[in-house]
Amino acid sequence: MRRKARMQAILLATLILFTFINLIPIIWGFLISIKQPADAFAIPPRLIFEPTAEFHIDVWVNRGFLSFLLNSAIIAAATVLISVPLGTLAAYGLARTRTKHAGKLLFGLLTIRMFPQILLAIPFFVMARWLGMIDTFPMMVMAMVAMNQPFTIWLMRSFFVDVPVELDEAAMIDGCNRWQAFIRIILPAVRPGLGVTALFSMLLAYNEFLFALILTGQHTKTLPVAIAEFGGEDINYWSISAAGAIGIMLPAVIFTLLVQRHLIRGLTFGAVKG
Amino acid sequence: MWLFMAPSVAVMALVLLYPFGSALYYSFTSYYLGGTNTHFVGLDNYIALLSEQRFWADMLTTMIIVLCSVGLQFVVGLAVALMLYALSGGVRVISLLNFLPHVVTPVVAGIFLKWMFVGRWGLLDATLIGLNIFPPDWLGDPLWAKFSVIMADTWKFMPFLMLVLYAGLQSFDTSLLEAAQIDGATPWQRLRHVILPMMKPLILFVLAIRMMDAFRFFDLVYVLTNGGPGTATETITLYTYQLAFRMLEIGRASALGVLTLLVVAGMIVGMILLMQRGGREAI
Repeated sequence: MRRKARMQAILLATLILFTFINLIPIIWGFLISIKQPADAFAIPPRLIFEPTAEFHIDVWVNRGFLSFLLNSAIIAAATVLISVPLGTLAAYGLARTRTKHAGKLLFGLLTIRMFPQILLAIPFFVMARWLGMIDTFPMMVMAMVAMNQPFTIWLMRSFFVDVPVELDEAAMIDGCNRWQAFIRIILPAVRPGLGVTALFSMLLAYNEFLFALILTGQHTKTLPVAIAEFGGEDINYWSISAAGAIGIMLPAVIFTLLVQRHLIRGLTFGAVKG
Repeated sequence: MWLFMAPSVAVMALVLLYPFGSALYYSFTSYYLGGTNTHFVGLDNYIALLSEQRFWADMLTTMIIVLCSVGLQFVVGLAVALMLYALSGGVRVISLLNFLPHVVTPVVAGIFLKWMFVGRWGLLDATLIGLNIFPPDWLGDPLWAKFSVIMADTWKFMPFLMLVLYAGLQSFDTSLLEAAQIDGATPWQRLRHVILPMMKPLILFVLAIRMMDAFRFFDLVYVLTNGGPGTATETITLYTYQLAFRMLEIGRASALGVLTLLVVAGMIVGMILLMQRGGREAI
């Protein structure tokens, strides 16, 4: 028994040490963001210093990151509002259809996901230029819906599959048609899944970089593009850049806490239920 | 039922199939955004790429980075998952904390990691100099730059493997493991002959996902090295990006994208064949 307790203690200590090492890049970034440059680049690294919030305020207020945040939020919200309802309908159809084609269709969707994004980025860029829609929200949202749709369908389908078909049948015996059964009975049953899918789609759109890099400009620039342009090269900008990076990271942290119970399902397109 | 799917199918036809079709078409033309004279050139773009040294060099770089980083992530992720599995308390907190690198916006992750690797002021250099060790040029030396990119990718995606493999371990029927323990199997034998065979479908599935994503790897390298020094860490995706959006060679870039798709598809078909041999219960 004592041997077991000691094993557990060693295990726990190892894991805590590992976690700490694993998080060093984030912790270090955070420290840079609250240090004066003179403290941040002292060698050896200085651990006692006077923290400051000036860079956090500077980046969001003076450097326009608040407006980039607004752009990011508009794109993410519009993507979710289009992608999730469409994907939910399709997922329900796929989960309940009896034909064998459904399997093929699903596999087709998975193959779309393995497309190199850049192969889609090229025609989107050409199309946007041709339509004069570079640096507009609709173009970027369209691209994000395209990237999101297969994922949304897979994930929602896994939640619909969990709802017994008998529930649909009972509703229809009680006089509902398909549509009413879906809206009144089945949709409320998958409400948690709907929330999780919306959050995952939102995060995908929020984190997107490649499409944002080529399709957005002065008016629609998103946070990832803004922070990448800021660059880590010039040492004088490190503190501000670190403050921006930490700020951009926060929604992702909140997201993780919100979906923690469904992380694995979301990460594997619903294939593995955690 | 088809009525439920119709809207989504229509939208996907417009925003996925149509663009993909046009990219495929561009790949057979001399489309150049700076000029007006576009004509059909058949397989010329493909032939030109395949006879180019840069294409093969980038393909090799991509393969090295993908195989090394996915392999490393898998080993570390499995080790952490096994440790979590053996741990009796605090699993949720530890796994959530370790998961953070995965949700951080990739560009931001690239910036955090740059502060680790960057010369002189980076944490690695600062620490090593403090210990009187002369550090290598993490991002400026062709070989070390590859190493840094592999480490960066591992840092970002190890949590994904850790979490999924841990979920796989938890869904186990523990009686088999207990039986093996009673029969006197060492921990290593239990891993080799009980745990790994049982998890084979799941392992192949997550590795397939990771390979697909690693092949499209863009954000992290773009921020960390942007393909440099020279083209030492230039992946196929970065090269396509250069061709399409810097040189505006739409036709050539599309052909490169299609080639990438073919390579990825080949890899995935290979993995699916493996999966079917190893049991059909994967998905």
